Amino acid sequence: MKSRKMIKELNQIILFVMMTVGVIPAHATLTKFELTNGMQVLVKEDHRAPVVVQQVWYRVGSTYEHGGITGLSHMLEHMMFKGTKRYKAGEFSKRVSKLGGQENAFTSYDYTAYYQVVGRQHLETVMALEADRMRNLVLKEADFQTERDVIAEERRMRTEDNPRSKLYELFRASAFLNSPSHHPVIGWMSDIQNYTLQDLKSWYQQWYAPNNATLVVVGDVDPQQVFEWAKRYYGVHSPEKIDPPKPQIEVTQSGQRRIELKAAVQSPTLMMGFHTPSLVTATDLQEVYALSVLASVLAGDDSARFNKNLIREQKVLASASARYDETSRATSLFTLSATPAQDKTLADAEAAIWQALQQLQSSLIKPKDLQKILAQAEAQYVFHQDSIEAQAMILGSLTSIGLPIETYDQWIERLRQVTPEQVQAVAKKYFSKDSVTVASLKPNGDVALSKPYKSFHGGQR
Amino acid sequence: MKQALYLPLWLSFWVSLFIMPAQASVDIQTWQTSNGAKVLYVYAPELPMVDVELLLDAGSARDGKSYGLAALTNSLIGTQTPNWDENALTEKLSALGVQLGQSVGRDSAALSFRSLTRTDILNPGFDLFVELATQAQFNPAIVAREKARLTVALQQKQSQPSALMGDALWAELYGEHPYAHPVSGSLETIDSLTAQQLEDFYRQYYVAANAQVTLVGAVSRAQARTMAERLTRSLATGEKPRLLPQPGVLTRASQKHIPFKATQTQYRLAQLGVQRGDPDYYALFLGNHLLGGSGFGSLLMEEVREKRGLVYGVSSGFYPMKVPGPFLIGLSTQNASIAKADQVVKATLEDFMKGFSEEKLADIKSNLMGGFPLRIDSNAKILGYVSMIGFYDLPLDYLEQFPKKMAALDKARVLAAWQKRIHPDTMLTLTLGMSPTLDTSGDAN
Repeated sequence: MKSRKMIKELNQIILFVMMTVGVIPAHATLTKFELTNGMQVLVKEDHRAPVVVQQVWYRVGSTYEHGGITGLSHMLEHMMFKGTKRYKAGEFSKRVSKLGGQENAFTSYDYTAYYQVVGRQHLETVMALEADRMRNLVLKEADFQTERDVIAEERRMRTEDNPRSKLYELFRASAFLNSPSHHPVIGWMSDIQNYTLQDLKSWYQQWYAPNNATLVVVGDVDPQQVFEWAKRYYGVHSPEKIDPPKPQIEVTQSGQRRIELKAAVQSPTLMMGFHTPSLVTATDLQEVYALSVLASVLAGDDSARFNKNLIREQKVLASASARYDETSRATSLFTLSATPAQDKTLADAEAAIWQALQQLQSSLIKPKDLQKILAQAEAQYVFHQDSIEAQAMILGSLTSIGLPIETYDQWIERLRQVTPEQVQAVAKKYFSKDSVTVASLKPNGDVALSKPYKSFHGGQR
Repeated sequence: MKQALYLPLWLSFWVSLFIMPAQASVDIQTWQTSNGAKVLYVYAPELPMVDVELLLDAGSARDGKSYGLAALTNSLIGTQTPNWDENALTEKLSALGVQLGQSVGRDSAALSFRSLTRTDILNPGFDLFVELATQAQFNPAIVAREKARLTVALQQKQSQPSALMGDALWAELYGEHPYAHPVSGSLETIDSLTAQQLEDFYRQYYVAANAQVTLVGAVSRAQARTMAERLTRSLATGEKPRLLPQPGVLTRASQKHIPFKATQTQYRLAQLGVQRGDPDYYALFLGNHLLGGSGFGSLLMEEVREKRGLVYGVSSGFYPMKVPGPFLIGLSTQNASIAKADQVVKATLEDFMKGFSEEKLADIKSNLMGGFPLRIDSNAKILGYVSMIGFYDLPLDYLEQFPKKMAALDKARVLAAWQKRIHPDTMLTLTLGMSPTLDTSGDAN
């Protein structure tokens, strides 16, 4: 079922997208503007189809929230479709739909973004609509109550009834104690149930301002024309005084943390995480690139070490992944997830993963491992230009966490500079038994499906 | 088996002519390989990349009694060939940066390949793809390992309510029909699958007469022709499988509840829909867009989510297939709200089938016609549509005709199609969750 207003695990997309850089081909030109009210404008031309995407990114997300109002950025994202002084609730979506457009929004840890994909001739219309709701939203009690119910259902669907999502939520909450990465993007259920309309009004007033936003347009457009429209529609808004969130630096972890969740599952799941720097927090950026290579060496594709050694040869894991968010505003978490093979235990899986990590600490990766990763990065760079939305996503997310958009163009060059010694050095520095958070999902002996459903063994007709 | 993939000189003129206008249409060219496989090709020169898909009528509807056979066969492809073992294959694909995709549905199985068009990548990459796709071997040790991994995945599915609901829906709607069982089989059925069965399935269904090759990208027609030949030439000619039987139609309303411990109840209201190529499909599609196929602004979203806050998502859809696929409305809501959601959904469907405003119709037509360029704005999307057009024998101008068909429809024709094909009084209501009782008195408020 297709649902609207998803919270995307954007870090995953960024990781994918960041792996894909090379040289910008001649036809893809990028133009930067800044409006006098502080709003940044990025326009990338792509004339392959008469289509354009507009995205507006606000620098606010769950890492801007404090305890008690967690998930408020996400709730506000939902409320942004509830009408303005000019347009009644639902009108925004109806107008975009009439243009044949697609639209949605998403909230993540560090940003909230809204987008529309339309035929090129409709860009001005959707710019006017999006600019209107930047400052003119009307928040009403009745809409708020109903939408809160919608969000509670969203949380039930995504988290409450999904044991592995629940494990991930607890895992992050254990790995991050005092920094706002502690809480989930959608918010804890009790916070969701206790927001007030005033919470939303203040949040909107505080963060939805031109000087806290980035407009990204990618597609069959003329940048100068986009800039003129941006001035006309977004340029009318006054800037707001933005107080950036306090640093809330995560405490240093000294000692292993273990947490378990029991649920009506038949097979267990393991997650292991290590605090790591991101491109925003790192003192030595090369460490980030080395960690990125390391994630690919472990689980980048079917030839990676987890796949080859732990899944296929030793048959200790049924599945495995490595995830590293290079573009987090705060301290990042290098995460390894695994499902043990049928006759193996969580302890077996954990031991096997440690073995793989220790191997990276004791011996150097081979030059051909690096070459492989570069070949994929170069191919991916071209592949993802097949989507104007993916291109806009990179620009918007980098800008929203305060990184230069050149980060993207320089990605492959920086990967090229990674040496086997650097990979070994970050493996030694960050993968310690005293700094790991381990979360385990274990069967509680119950089964969710009380009797196996077998009607496909002999139908009812 | 090395063959150069180069661009003939005369073609470069054609290329430069073609690049200029950004036009919203897709020029599909089609032919047959020398051993009878169907080829569809779209020239997309803007990005230096190419997508190739080998599609076969080898989905789970061809499983026979061995549920999961088609899916396991497809997933084993790429694990061994006469020249290379599994590690060598994954290593070589990875070193070139080419992508291999594998997927199976009820109607079809696909192997797909995505590569840069630089010859030092495309030539060895495509050679590898050809070899793994057409000379697959089924090593019993690897089959055993993949069955064990699949077992774990199927155990995980036992705690995924929407996946379980999907299985139950097909089972209830299709009874003894080959669409009824889960594509990946079940814990009970995959255990007995053998390497020999996989090989036999592969030999029977991965044959030229049953294959379609789709190419989209920056390769010339001559290159495409060569590539399609190379991909199919080591396939046996074989024959097309027999047509699937027609599924039986539900003749009375039914209701079934599956107890499952969760905070929400999954809900589906369904009956058989239409097959690909059905002339009523245009009117049904347009109506469905209005009812629940277009997200926000659709009637179901308005009634169930926007007005009442009962769900995060609700949608309706037709899934046209080789033979009639399902029509269904689906949602999930907290256990306590299920009776209410059921009433609202049924009332919305019935009201919709009685009529809707001309304004709504005009708006949705405007959406469907205006949204056309968005459907073909990337190579990946074009490949998806072209492959579908070929596989279901739709006319080559299907895409261009679609907005025109939409424009030509009026309210009376939409309603007539719905009344003819959708029967609210004989639908299947399925729930999975902790709320067994639905109030069937029908008073939605």
